[in-house]
Amino acid sequence: MDKKTEIAKRDDQNIEKTRELYEVAPAVDIYENEDEILLYADMPGVAKDELSVNIDNGRLSLSGVRKLETSGAASWEEFGNVEFVRNFSVPQTIDVEKVEAELKNGVLTLHMPKSEEAKPRQIEIKTA
Amino acid sequence: MFTRFSDIDRLFGTMDLLRQRLDNLYTDYGRPYGTRWLMDEGFLRANLYQTGDGFEMRLEVPGMEKESLGIKIQGNYLEISGSRDQKLPDGYKVHKTERGNGTFSRSFTLPDDVDGNRVEATLKNGVLYLTLPKSEAAKPRQITIN
Repeated sequence: MDKKTEIAKRDDQNIEKTRELYEVAPAVDIYENEDEILLYADMPGVAKDELSVNIDNGRLSLSGVRKLETSGAASWEEFGNVEFVRNFSVPQTIDVEKVEAELKNGVLTLHMPKSEEAKPRQIEIKTA
Repeated sequence: MFTRFSDIDRLFGTMDLLRQRLDNLYTDYGRPYGTRWLMDEGFLRANLYQTGDGFEMRLEVPGMEKESLGIKIQGNYLEISGSRDQKLPDGYKVHKTERGNGTFSRSFTLPDDVDGNRVEATLKNGVLYLTLPKSEAAKPRQITIN
């Protein structure tokens, strides 16, 4: 392969993605007990259909796009349309099928139950 | 070696991207990585827009119920206060707490007087939308010449 075709090929592979929105990290609270991992994330202005939660291969990714309804000329603007993005590593023992997500008042609540095998077990000692 | 013009273009594109990232780091606009919600300082973000006959306001109030929000208007003085008090669930270990609870109060002096009786407020997805129509006295008037 001569150099020219090689470069052309590289161009094809290099698909550039343009972003119009700022990517910001939402503030989160994370709690854990024996049964589940509980996550809260502040995403004010994100509607349900603009939110995506993905758990794949031990990686949890949250993404929510905020589209504000505005009208008129801005006198001042302290927040704008953004994409809330944050990624976490989660244990493989999360039961992905039973994960529950709820969006209320701009706060995402994510219940991630642990699978049965991952829960601590009390072992009974038998007396002979 | 740059064999093509597009290579040079791409190089500058990368530099632009880096510059944007750095800009993002040092501005509060859009809450970049590493900053906390301003609730901790008792301050919430607000936007103000001017429409012909009034104002539109947007406030970030994630996790707040409408019962915990208060809006006061007198003339061109607007005061918004609220609180967020989310209990730590029982029996959970804490890994991260970035969100914070507390109260906030913020007051604004609007450019014109507002008709307090016709103000509308709606809470949607953690954003408070306010429609503030100007009072009749503050509206521009056409004067006819006799």
